[in-house]
Amino acid sequence: MKFALALLLLPFGLFAQAKPADDEINWLDNYPAALREAKATGKPIFLEYRCEP
Amino acid sequence: MDNVDIGLFEHDRNNTIYFYLLNADEQIYMRYGGRDARSADSYLSLDSLALAAAKGLDLHKQYQAGQLAKKPRPKEDSARNYSMLVERTFKSNACVECHLIGDFQNLHREKDGTLDKLVHLFRSPDVRTIGIELDVPKGLVVRDVSGAAKAAGMQAGDRIAKWEGDTVWTFADVQWRYDKVARTAKATRVTVERAGVFVDLTIALPVRWWWTDTRYRQSSIEPRSYFDDRALTAEEKGKLGLPLDGLASYVKYVSSMAYSVAAHDLKVGDIILSVDGKDRDEHADTASLYIILHKAPGDTGTLEVLRDGKKISMPLKTIRMSFRK
Repeated sequence: MKFALALLLLPFGLFAQAKPADDEINWLDNYPAALREAKATGKPIFLEYRCEP
Repeated sequence: MDNVDIGLFEHDRNNTIYFYLLNADEQIYMRYGGRDARSADSYLSLDSLALAAAKGLDLHKQYQAGQLAKKPRPKEDSARNYSMLVERTFKSNACVECHLIGDFQNLHREKDGTLDKLVHLFRSPDVRTIGIELDVPKGLVVRDVSGAAKAAGMQAGDRIAKWEGDTVWTFADVQWRYDKVARTAKATRVTVERAGVFVDLTIALPVRWWWTDTRYRQSSIEPRSYFDDRALTAEEKGKLGLPLDGLASYVKYVSSMAYSVAAHDLKVGDIILSVDGKDRDEHADTASLYIILHKAPGDTGTLEVLRDGKKISMPLKTIRMSFRK
């Protein structure tokens, strides 16, 4: 299995709003940009490190 | 992993998937993930992730209301601080694979003499070793308890709330904090919530509490000696007149690589009596563990082996798994 990094960021409304049928998850792959967005929106960050097979 | 502070996001790099919940000030609320040798998802479930996320939102509200104490930021670190990793990955525009960060940190530690194998190779001690079986979908609720944890007073149904005084919300929090316990420690402090009451427990740590099955992270464990063994039972040692606290072990598997690289001439069924004349060790209960703890890749040595009732000696050569690094 190959391990690779996928640094994805998710504005945290996902779990609070829980409308997967309506909402497309807007994952970000740029950490500094995610920090800026979190600061601007007041949302927390859900950050994922993933092994890509 | 470029432009990421690996000092802030510090975790066992052999996890297949790992999450952090944090805020824009980079205050980490919790981690989510953790694995063991049984499976990459032994401790993952959507239910426990939902529990963690709900708690994370609650903590975020507290943070926004100024009610959450700030934690000191860990020392900053970067994958680019490891020159051998830079050479292996960045310079050739290759992927900086998660486990490579851990592997190359250890290579640098080996080079500068700071590698502590009990800490850096045996990361993420298994809580089952001290008798804790979690009800994984329920987060940190204990499903079954035995051994050292039971002796300390832990009960099924308890929710683990603190480890060594630090609040924990997820298994990843527990595994990360437990990993920070000094390998010389004789006990670890755990607080559980039981029927709304917090109860402090002191769990006596058994011998080799830090040991974990490293087969799932074999490419990160050096040196390689290409055999697997098990400790002889007390009865087996008694029959052979061997010291009960010795490291005599039964060879149960020999990789064909052992012959390819002329590492040794072990056969399944051999009993290894000593390594370099040492038949007991403070930490190791098997010859393979002794070799990992006391040999550097490329070191040679001598195995004393019992084969078909006769003692024989054979040379040992250890290997570095260089093709992954």
